[in-house]
Amino acid sequence: MDPTVNTPTAGLQGRHSARPSFGLVRGPQNLVAGATLVLLAALALWLTRDLEQGTLGAMGPALLPRWLAYAVGLCGLALIIPAFSKDGDALERWSLRGPIFVIGGILAFAVTIRPFALGGLATPGLGLLFAGPLAIIIGGYATAEARLRDLVILALSLTPFCMVLFGDLLNLPIPVFPQALTGLFPADWSHKAVLRATAALMAAAALIVFGASRRGRRTVEADVADHSGRI
Amino acid sequence: MGDLFSNLSLGFGVALSLQNLGLAFLGCLVGTLIGVLPGVGPIATIAMLLPITFGLDPTGALIMLAGIYYGAQYGGSTTAILVNIPGEATSVVTALDGHQMARQGRAGVALGVAAIGSFFAGTVATLVIAALGAPLTGLALVFGPAEYFSLMLMGLVFAVVLARGSILRAVAMILVGVLLSTVGTDLETGEERMTFGLPFLADGIDFAVLAMGIFGIAEIMRNLDHTEHRDVVHKAIGRLLPNKEDFRQSYKPVLRGTFIGAILGILPGNGAVLGPFAAYTVEKKLAKDPKRFGRGAIEGVAGPESANNAGAQTSFIPLLTLGIPPNAVMALMVGAMTIHGIIPGPQVMTKNPNLFWGMIASMWIGNLLLLIINLPLVGLWVRLLKVPYRLMFPAILMFCCIGIYSINSLPTDVMFIGFFGIVGYALIKFGFEPAPMLLGFVLGKLMEENLRRALLISRGDMMTFLDHPISAGLLAVALVILALALLPTIRKGRDEVFVE
Repeated sequence: MDPTVNTPTAGLQGRHSARPSFGLVRGPQNLVAGATLVLLAALALWLTRDLEQGTLGAMGPALLPRWLAYAVGLCGLALIIPAFSKDGDALERWSLRGPIFVIGGILAFAVTIRPFALGGLATPGLGLLFAGPLAIIIGGYATAEARLRDLVILALSLTPFCMVLFGDLLNLPIPVFPQALTGLFPADWSHKAVLRATAALMAAAALIVFGASRRGRRTVEADVADHSGRI
Repeated sequence: MGDLFSNLSLGFGVALSLQNLGLAFLGCLVGTLIGVLPGVGPIATIAMLLPITFGLDPTGALIMLAGIYYGAQYGGSTTAILVNIPGEATSVVTALDGHQMARQGRAGVALGVAAIGSFFAGTVATLVIAALGAPLTGLALVFGPAEYFSLMLMGLVFAVVLARGSILRAVAMILVGVLLSTVGTDLETGEERMTFGLPFLADGIDFAVLAMGIFGIAEIMRNLDHTEHRDVVHKAIGRLLPNKEDFRQSYKPVLRGTFIGAILGILPGNGAVLGPFAAYTVEKKLAKDPKRFGRGAIEGVAGPESANNAGAQTSFIPLLTLGIPPNAVMALMVGAMTIHGIIPGPQVMTKNPNLFWGMIASMWIGNLLLLIINLPLVGLWVRLLKVPYRLMFPAILMFCCIGIYSINSLPTDVMFIGFFGIVGYALIKFGFEPAPMLLGFVLGKLMEENLRRALLISRGDMMTFLDHPISAGLLAVALVILALALLPTIRKGRDEVFVE
């Protein structure tokens, strides 16, 4: 949409044609996009290599995927070829910080929510109690403006909110506690009572962190603390 | 006509029960709450909130989901007007004039007109669905596999034509989407296709996972790339109800927008997306002074918002009558229905009249509730919009994780939203638009099934698609549209519509 992108010099800013002397590639974005499609098509063809194609009257499992792969590959080629003859858009800048921390947060949640084994490694199931704050705090660092204190408050207030909402009110089968923690509460307490008590403790902790570190700054945190107050 | 009213009264009987009314209200409220967050569109909202409907009976669950959908739509418009960050493609147009109005201290009127226009459009669209539901269901009975295949092919052609940017890229994305839909166990032979031998891929890729990754997680990464520039309106919201002059200016755009949106919404292949753009173009063409557009013209909010809502609702028609989801949101509805043991299609109306008509009646109720709850709550949305993104996105991230985990209780699903998030981020960086891919994925499985069935019946003769008159007609329409889109003059016009 940006008109300046189509100027001839913009095409030279891409990673693949950093130097004008390499002037072969004139549409780096098209080239990379097309190459991705061709690779994807090749992957699909390789994965379906052992499958029966069948006939039109009795189609085998490989017929459609294979034809689609050819079509995707053709689209890829159709993007690659003009990349050498016509000026196209430059590749956009990729940031690493955002994706890495966002994915990190997601993975942390996935492996801690319940016991997860991959190869010889196994993680203990920690439940929402730990998985939620991990996702928020690790994921929160995806921006350079992240502040640990704010993220801790956010984690301590949103997690009990979700525990009560999903575990208590909606009865979803989502693990809430680590197995190891069950012994800490009196044996005659029900699952729900434990859940509510923990949630209340976390919300209180959020308020304490919030109150202790507030130095006359009244900004957005007031909104965040509202979440725990509403439970 | 008598049928229509008895059906509607049956529906209102169901939808007005205390429980269902409460669910519709709750759905609208949480839908708006999540939909208002910048960068979270209806698809991500529904995928995130899907699990909260699991414990309900099917009718209640669908009523609540429909409420969430309208709430998310309306929340998107609120964000577009107040912050100039459109949550999804359809509110891009609203942001143009709506945000300008907000900067002139008329945010309240913009929101009010959007709500009233949407309510009117919703009322008309509800009647359209009720009137067209029965006859179109009859149409489904004469549809064989060949007709279904051709109809879906036509839908995909529409999606290509309606996508922004290069047609070649849109075609590529649709093909990739259909290719992705073939991953998993082949239903007829039981052989695993492209699963890498991984057990959790044997059932194919879960649609909610794909949608959440591409529209939820990738969107977070993309937003993080831009240094935050959020232009929350600092001016007073102003009065909410439009005055006489505003009404005079906006009632015709509302009527036209409703008409355009309702018709485009019925088209398979995400026609609803085109509604707001078309309505905006029409208003600008008809206006005495087109220069006002882009500077806070009330018609530029009224028309597109009505078209948006009318289309959002009539896009239920292909799903409820033919069982074909016309866009990604409806595909999520298919997922939700299947979880509750309902297979969308013509048989829903005959086998489950309570559910069918109850849902239709609840659409109107949902629109009314939105009008009632949203206008007083504007202050709350404004406060929510002032929360900085650095605090908002970790919360969105955790909700995404919890939401997707609750659907199947599989940690691998959570990992996959991360994977598809990266894929979606890469697609955006390579200049691809992910929406057509999702539609290809949605229709892919159904298309393969019907293609195989049609060819099995005809013993491998491809001519079967031309021998059946309806099928041939649909293919001809597809061909004409594609040819038109490739004509240089029309192509230029298409680019202009999207640039605006």
